[in-house]
Amino acid sequence: MASKDLVLESAADRNSRFERDALVFMDQLYAAALRYTKNPEDARDLVQDTYLKAFNSFHQFEEGTNLRAWLYRVLTTTFINSYRKDQRRPQLAAGELEDWQVAEAQSHTSDLGKSAEMEALENLPDSDIKRALQEIPEEFRIAVYLADVEGFSYKEIADIVGVPGGTVMSRLHRGRKLLREKLADYAKELGYSTEAKDAKKSGKGEKS
Amino acid sequence: MSHIEEIPCIEVLSSVVFIIEGVVEDSRNPQAIESHLNSCADCRAEVEHEQAMHTLLQDVLRRSCDEKAPEDLHRSIHEQLLRQAQGGAGVTEVVTQYSMTEISIEIDEFGNVEHREIQIEQTHVQHFIDDEE
Repeated sequence: MASKDLVLESAADRNSRFERDALVFMDQLYAAALRYTKNPEDARDLVQDTYLKAFNSFHQFEEGTNLRAWLYRVLTTTFINSYRKDQRRPQLAAGELEDWQVAEAQSHTSDLGKSAEMEALENLPDSDIKRALQEIPEEFRIAVYLADVEGFSYKEIADIVGVPGGTVMSRLHRGRKLLREKLADYAKELGYSTEAKDAKKSGKGEKS
Repeated sequence: MSHIEEIPCIEVLSSVVFIIEGVVEDSRNPQAIESHLNSCADCRAEVEHEQAMHTLLQDVLRRSCDEKAPEDLHRSIHEQLLRQAQGGAGVTEVVTQYSMTEISIEIDEFGNVEHREIQIEQTHVQHFIDDEE
C-alpha cells in the first residue's frame, strides 16, 4: 500500500509538496545567485531558472535526502552551464590540485600581525566584504560561499559543484587565503594597521 | 604501536584546511599531523589563530551576504510554477498499469474443489520532461 501511494502521488500533490518544501529557500538561493552572477538582474533570472528546472525534475529528487543541497546543485549547475560570462574558461585550472599543498609556504606569523588582521576584518563594512568576494575567481568564490556562508561540508560541495573532494579542499584553502589578502588590502586603504601584512612578509621563512 | 612519521611544520600548516573543516582524518597524513601538533606549540598557536580567523571570516561573510529575494520575484516564481503545473508543459506523465488475475480450480479424486486465485498487479509511471519554454 505504501509503495502504491508513493508511485501514484498525483502531479497536484507533488506540486504542492514542491511549493511547500522548496520555495522557503528562495532568499538563500537569491543571495547565493547574487554572489555567483554579481548582479541583481542575472541573479533573478538564475533563481527563476533554478526553480523551473527543479520543479520539472522534482520527481527525480529522492525524498528524505537533502532538498537544500539538491536545490543548490541545480542552482550551481545552471549557473556554470548558462550564466558564466566566459564559457570557454576551463572549470579546473591546470595544476590546481598539486601545487596548493606544497607551494603555499605558510609560516608562523607574529602575534602583532594576528591581532591586527582580526581587528581589520571585524571593522570592514559589508560592502567591502562583498567586493572582496566578487573579486576572487569564480571557482574559489563558489566553494568559499557554499562552505562558509551556507555551511555545506566539503563532501556536499563536491556533489553540488561536481568536482572531487580534494579539489574542493584546494579551492577552500586558496579561496579563503585570497579573500583574506583582499580584505587586508581594503583595510590598508581604510587606514587600518598594515602590520598584518608586513609582519607576515618579514616572518616568512623564519621557521620551517 | 606503529611508528608515526615525523613531518615538518610546513606540512602541518598546509593541511590546516582539513583541521578547520574538522576532517583531519581525510588529510594525507592524519596521525603525523596529530602527533606533530601535540609536540609543537608554534603550530598549535598557528592552527588556533587560523581557526579563530576562519570563525571571524565566516561571521563577517554571513553578516554581509543576507540579501532577501525581492517580493515580486517570490510572486513571479509562484505564478510561473502555477502556469507550469496547469499548462501541461513541463512534465508529461505516462502511467502504465498492468494487472492479471490467475484463477485455477482443481478437483481432486474425492470431488473436493480446490480454488486458487493469484493476482498480479504492476504500475509504472514514466515522466517525460518538455524542456522548451
